[in-house]
Amino acid sequence: MDRCLGIITTLERDSNFGGICKNRPSYMLPFGGRYRLIDFTISNMVNHGLRTIAVYTGEKIRSTMDHLGDGKPWDLNRRINGLFLYPPINDNHVGTHFGDIAQFYSTMEFFDRTREEYIFLSNPNIIAKLNIGDAFRFFIDTGADITLIYREQLDPDGNLINCDKIHVGEDNVFENLGVNLSTEKRFNHYIGMAFVKKDIFIKILKDSIEQGNTNYFKDAIILYKDKYKINTYEFKGHVETIRDLKSFYKANLNLLSKDISRELFFQGGAIYTKSKDEPSTLYTESSNVQNSLIANGCVIEGDVENSIVFRGVKIGKGAFIKNSVVMQKSVIEENAIVVNAVLDKQTFIGKGVNIGGSILAPYVVEKYQRIVKE
Amino acid sequence: MGNKVVAMLLAGGQGSRLKALTSKIAKPAVPFGGKYRIIDFALSNATNSGISNIGILTQYKPYLLNTHIGIGSAWDYDRNIGGLRILPPFTSEEGGRWYTGTANAVYENIDYLDELEPQYVLILSGDHIYKMDYNQLLNYHKGKKADVTIAVMEVPWEEASRFGIINVDEKDKIIEFEEKPPKPKNNMASMGIYMFNWKELRKYLRKDNKDKDSVHDFGKNVLPKMLEEEKKMYAWNFKGYWKDVGTVRSYWESNMDLLDDKNTLNLYDKSWRIYTKNKNLPPQYIARGAIVNNSLINEGCHIMGELNNSILFSEIIVEPGAIINNSVVLSNCTIKSGAVVNNAVILEDTVIEEDKRIGEIGDNKIYLVSGKKIWEE
Repeated sequence: MDRCLGIITTLERDSNFGGICKNRPSYMLPFGGRYRLIDFTISNMVNHGLRTIAVYTGEKIRSTMDHLGDGKPWDLNRRINGLFLYPPINDNHVGTHFGDIAQFYSTMEFFDRTREEYIFLSNPNIIAKLNIGDAFRFFIDTGADITLIYREQLDPDGNLINCDKIHVGEDNVFENLGVNLSTEKRFNHYIGMAFVKKDIFIKILKDSIEQGNTNYFKDAIILYKDKYKINTYEFKGHVETIRDLKSFYKANLNLLSKDISRELFFQGGAIYTKSKDEPSTLYTESSNVQNSLIANGCVIEGDVENSIVFRGVKIGKGAFIKNSVVMQKSVIEENAIVVNAVLDKQTFIGKGVNIGGSILAPYVVEKYQRIVKE
Repeated sequence: MGNKVVAMLLAGGQGSRLKALTSKIAKPAVPFGGKYRIIDFALSNATNSGISNIGILTQYKPYLLNTHIGIGSAWDYDRNIGGLRILPPFTSEEGGRWYTGTANAVYENIDYLDELEPQYVLILSGDHIYKMDYNQLLNYHKGKKADVTIAVMEVPWEEASRFGIINVDEKDKIIEFEEKPPKPKNNMASMGIYMFNWKELRKYLRKDNKDKDSVHDFGKNVLPKMLEEEKKMYAWNFKGYWKDVGTVRSYWESNMDLLDDKNTLNLYDKSWRIYTKNKNLPPQYIARGAIVNNSLINEGCHIMGELNNSILFSEIIVEPGAIINNSVVLSNCTIKSGAVVNNAVILEDTVIEEDKRIGEIGDNKIYLVSGKKIWEE
């Protein structure tokens, strides 16, 4: 796998997240009690032996810089290779262009300099514990120029409308890429992961820019589909697609299912993240916790049910938390009631305050927000 | 710490009275408080006090300790300037020698200290659980213009005869040492934490090494010798939580101290964090039907049964119907359904079989449980 570069990039809009992405890109959203979404993507790459990983950060770079740093938690603080962060430069000769092609092209030196011959692309907003080694072998053995990874999805409720829909022909041949409008019960969902030969990748970047016919790598694949040998690889595991507040909330609560948490947390190796040196969590005599995932450093004196509680949260006596995602260092005081809510980092819910949303539209408390009873 | 202090952390102790807890590891590596190892306290104190050079003297079964410490990243000791050095016994032209006592261990590493040219050398023990700002000790030492300052603390009178007792005059100048006296004159015990002027210490270490009758121990030889020769020795009174975990019972008790809401060893204090090696485990899961009362739980646990007044380390599975009372459970254990565990310390990787009963709630015994054997105390 040391023949493969890892490229992490997302085109997800952050405007659909109800205030929790004001200051962070969506791939930096806290997830699963102690992680950020991007931890799953990076850890899975590292656990499958990728040694050079580039992250195209987008513009809200502060939380990314703080979290990823030199890549130490992922063993990416290497003298040779390791982690590369690329914030956007919008002021160069391709400045009039937007989209990922221009961003990739602006780092051409990185692609030229690195010795790896292949590229593994991944979208950090989609969590899937792909066995990258197996998929890579398929890509090499079939002699493809590009292999796109998909998951067959059953989506009767239309939760995945507007996701990428891939059309697969016989023998895994790639036919086309479109958008799911939920006209069929089942569809093949392109999960934003792909292998590309590096020389082909560079050629596609140059052709796209020279001919000016596309700004997005995804569009380029459609455009050049007859020019290159493109096939597909089916992933059969669990997929979480985080593209708005609702899917973010649901993906967190899905971790309360044993099978899903086993797969996402343990399969193919541990998930690494920036450590916080929190002590164990204390559950007092008055606490009552049911079906919840609780991180370290919490002091729990109240009731918690079907919830995800991040590191260093304090929940007072008589407080009641249900179906909620409570992020790092939030404080919920005595007798407060929080139901169907997403509490961002360091929020404060005062004594006796009641807040609640619905399962479909959780109530959001933004970072540092304080809610107290008048 | 502006004036140059080098800490020497004694971490070679066996801790034989901890029985199976130290059958494979040195006492400083024994797990404590849900996610730590005992040595984490001294190391975290050192880094929080701004000490930038620390030598760790290892000897007894050091493998796990070395793995745990690594290059010291967890305590911010992976530095270009200063940092942490592990100092095991070594061979030289005169042959190889084990460290024969605490003073000898430091003597053998005079070269390390000479290279750093410290003004002060702080002797620490990796066996103790406490939080201390060594700057306070240093400032006191400087204020008294002492040659050596010993940290002391008040212990209960009935326990005083277990410790090295220090008698002082009205200005806290040390006038007498009593090693485990049957009838102690006071209850101020030495904590095994010494701040030396390096020049004096160097002199006395060399002297002690030549003394054939010496067992090369700070408490038994070096310090009494300095007193005999009328060096300026002071006692600095520490107030706070401090425990030397000697036996399985005191190990169990000091873990249980963390569940007492009056306990003074506040692990949640962000201004004085205790650091440890990170295990990269997911959060703990508390299942529907689980009961958790007054307990500490660490990452990677899966709790379906009942816990009362207990401390669980990481990756422990408590099956539905299992009950754990007043116990310390180390990492990677499984407590199967119907099992009832009271007043126990359960060693790593132990499986407690279905419906097994260990101890009774009020039986005043402590059980040390491994996969093969149960020791009573």
